Amino acid sequence: MNRGLIAKTIREIWLVTLLFALGIFTFEALIAYMLPLFDQDILDYWAKMPFLNGMFQALFGTEIGETIGPGMIATTAWVHPIVLIMVWAHGIICCTRVPAGEVDRGTIDVLLGLPVSRTRVYVCESLVWLTSGLVILAAGLAGNLLGNRVATSETQGATGHLLIVLVNLYGLYVAVGAMAFFVSCWSDRRGRAVGVAFAIVLAGYVLNFLAQFWQPARSISFLSFQHYYRPLLIIREGAWPTSDILVLATVSVVFWLAGAIVFNRRDICTV
Amino acid sequence: MSVIVVEQLTKLYGRRIGVRDLNLRVPEGMVFGFLGPNGSGKTTTIRVLVGLLKPTDGSARVFGLDCRRDSHRIKAEVGYLPGDLRLYPWLTLGIALPIFGRIRRRDLVDEGLRLADEFELDPTVRVRSMSRGMRQKLGLILALAHQPRLLILDEPTSSLDPLMQEKLYRHLRTIASAGRSVFFSSHTLSEVEQLCDRVAILRNGKLVADESLDELRSRAKRAVTIRWRDDARLETLQVPKFLDVFDKQGKQWQASLTGSARDLVQWTAGQPIDDMTIEQPDLARVFHRYYE
Repeated sequence: MNRGLIAKTIREIWLVTLLFALGIFTFEALIAYMLPLFDQDILDYWAKMPFLNGMFQALFGTEIGETIGPGMIATTAWVHPIVLIMVWAHGIICCTRVPAGEVDRGTIDVLLGLPVSRTRVYVCESLVWLTSGLVILAAGLAGNLLGNRVATSETQGATGHLLIVLVNLYGLYVAVGAMAFFVSCWSDRRGRAVGVAFAIVLAGYVLNFLAQFWQPARSISFLSFQHYYRPLLIIREGAWPTSDILVLATVSVVFWLAGAIVFNRRDICTV
Repeated sequence: MSVIVVEQLTKLYGRRIGVRDLNLRVPEGMVFGFLGPNGSGKTTTIRVLVGLLKPTDGSARVFGLDCRRDSHRIKAEVGYLPGDLRLYPWLTLGIALPIFGRIRRRDLVDEGLRLADEFELDPTVRVRSMSRGMRQKLGLILALAHQPRLLILDEPTSSLDPLMQEKLYRHLRTIASAGRSVFFSSHTLSEVEQLCDRVAILRNGKLVADESLDELRSRAKRAVTIRWRDDARLETLQVPKFLDVFDKQGKQWQASLTGSARDLVQWTAGQPIDDMTIEQPDLARVFHRYYE
């Protein structure tokens, strides 16, 4: 670890992390406050409609049955597309900074002109990214707890269960970020790296969604990151999604290491 | 001792040649000029030296260490200024010195501020508000502040005004006289002539010359102008081989001196001349010959 590199990286991402943290805090607070206000009859009616039921299943990643209970409402705050997009976007923004972003703006010549190995740069970037991910999720949790407290609702999941959901979501965040690092290590253009990483995540999301209705998609839905994030099961049963977290961790390690190898071996051309 | 040793270095970009079979030795304690027209391979060589590019073939070593494998160890004692300098928009010298100091694990603030004073750079201005010349000064200060054993500068005077260029030359000469080395890439002949002890010239990715400035000067022709007192004897005058007369206008001759000035002076001593001028060796012609 190099304190100078850490300081430089923090300087570059603190603002974007703060903005995302505020965004996710606000959204979580609002959704936790507002969801319990929906009439239960309307929610049950939605759950009985086949298409909406499929959509809910796709969103929650598991069978939802024919009623929408407090657990589902609590889960919605953690599977809502806006939350997921914010989490993915933060991961992708942070993880495409080095090397693609630095090569793109030409600053990598100065960075790698310093007495630091590429591995050290990669590790320091990763540490700041992993920490900032924790900040984002902590802000989301704080917003969620605040919203629930103000609403004084019965839909609030047990805090212990909520923490397990957050661990699973952090696993998803890390996997998406590691994949973005891998893409970034091949690229000289940040825009291209962001586009490719986002397309991969979105394609996985759509695949996971289609898998609820379409058999061919179901057979390959294991390729989607989203497939390994099923918060409803956690909130309902309180069980650790060990296999999902292990898969996400393995994917993360593989992508991250592959990215490090590519970054170490590649030529850096800024001109 | 050589601080840089490049042996049979080849770098290909697909089918395009960056450099081919380059051999180079940069001795310690001198300003080494690295000359060549645009696209000749200067920047490619420098990027191999700082570990940004992997050689296709051959090797490059700095301080005896491999430029790729030991890049981070080498750069602890190298100051590098890229040719197309880009800096973080939020950076000021005041912010950069502590951060770069932490990365280099040494205090750069005092020396950095002293250099800022010397190069007249306000340490509080952000890069996004700087002119190109100011950014170049900031890059130079960051390359110099840790007092490196070797400076690798890729066209450092571009976008500096003549006054600053002169200050930089003075600074680099001081560095070299203190036993440290400067590897100075340029395509401006006059500054290389003014500053460097030795030059290597690249053309189309190949080394075409690697000589000291004194050697180059000794081989360079000098322009000579002779004004004769009396043109009556000129028709029968035997011109020596070391004098290549290319223009005769009455009593005034224009010639190139290919031998030594001593031979010329001895020969003219016995001739009826009114005046004679021997100009400085024309290095530009030598350089151009290599470039063409």
